[in-house]
Amino acid sequence: MSKFYVAGVLMALIAGSSAAHADPIEERQKILKGFGDATKPVAAMLKGDAPFEIAPVQAALDTYMDGVKKLPGLFPDDSKTGHKTEALPKIWDEKPKFDVLYEKLGTDAAAAKGNITDLASLKANFPKVLGDCKACHDDYREKK
Amino acid sequence: MVPEKDLRPERDSEDSHFVKAWDLPTRLFKWLLVLLVVLAWVSNKYGGAVPLWHKANGYAILVLIVFRILWGFAGSSTARFGAFLKGPRGVLSYAAALIKQKRQPYLGHNPLGGWMIIMLLAALGLQGVLGLYAADEDRLIIEGPLAKTVSEAAVDGAAHFHRLGFDLIVCLAAIHIAANVLYDLAGKSGLIRAMISGRKLKAAYIDQPSLVTAGRGTALLCFIAAVTAVFGAIVLLGGNPFK
Repeated sequence: MSKFYVAGVLMALIAGSSAAHADPIEERQKILKGFGDATKPVAAMLKGDAPFEIAPVQAALDTYMDGVKKLPGLFPDDSKTGHKTEALPKIWDEKPKFDVLYEKLGTDAAAAKGNITDLASLKANFPKVLGDCKACHDDYREKK
Repeated sequence: MVPEKDLRPERDSEDSHFVKAWDLPTRLFKWLLVLLVVLAWVSNKYGGAVPLWHKANGYAILVLIVFRILWGFAGSSTARFGAFLKGPRGVLSYAAALIKQKRQPYLGHNPLGGWMIIMLLAALGLQGVLGLYAADEDRLIIEGPLAKTVSEAAVDGAAHFHRLGFDLIVCLAAIHIAANVLYDLAGKSGLIRAMISGRKLKAAYIDQPSLVTAGRGTALLCFIAAVTAVFGAIVLLGGNPFK
């Protein structure tokens, strides 16, 4: 029994430590890729290529609101290179300014979620959220 | 209608020192273009939430460029390409005279300035056309009306050169502004004032003695043709400019 207990504790420790040491670059890439995927159906609605549906809109906004809680912590000083990161070094020169952009995205997404009920309110409120994406990409994302 | 200056003869003596150099359409074009180039930057930097703003700004620039090309053939004498575009020999001899500080007054663009105008028109026209095909990297935020008509690689290429194009335009504009300020400081030629008032001090101009003005109706026709050409081309190529 004690053998199992030790093994269990060890496994828990390994699992715990590997979660804590999950690569921040991979982690933030996964979240930001999730942002993009969640945005696709909404962008199609904005372009008039798909009919309005509330569920994907709210899902996208929830994805942003959830992601911005984690993202500021996923740019530690030792995550400037590797994994084909598109994060520009400028991020670490002005980290507080960078973090504020996530905060703004969270605030604007929450406000948009409360205001969007149909296509007209989607068009009136969602682009502001996309503008937050753009502001950050313009300054801090490597361009092709 | 009696022109205002005929009612105020005391101004005639002052007016007689000046000759007309630039017509109103050319000056309107010039300053509207300056405004729209500045707003192009502003609408990209601060208009992320209103993608149509940057796009409409680009269409307006394209309309102005097409208008200026037409005006370069049908417009007043100083606006015509034929009047201010000189070959390499003409440009070099003008530059040589400039270096020797020999003043060669031009009523219109001088041979160096003429080519600057062509470079600015070409750079801004190209930038506008690239914008029609460009989009953000994820195709989610802003997309030119013709991006959907070409391959993804072409869109990425257009976006890449649309970004570089901005740097080129800033360089050209900086040279253009610096040259005019230097001319005005060194030669007291009043180039910048002339582009606002339309008038230059009387002098022995070597390109043309006086302005031959084209009619306002011609200007209006050129403008209508430019609007039709820009929006017609976008629609014919399969795009919806305002979607």
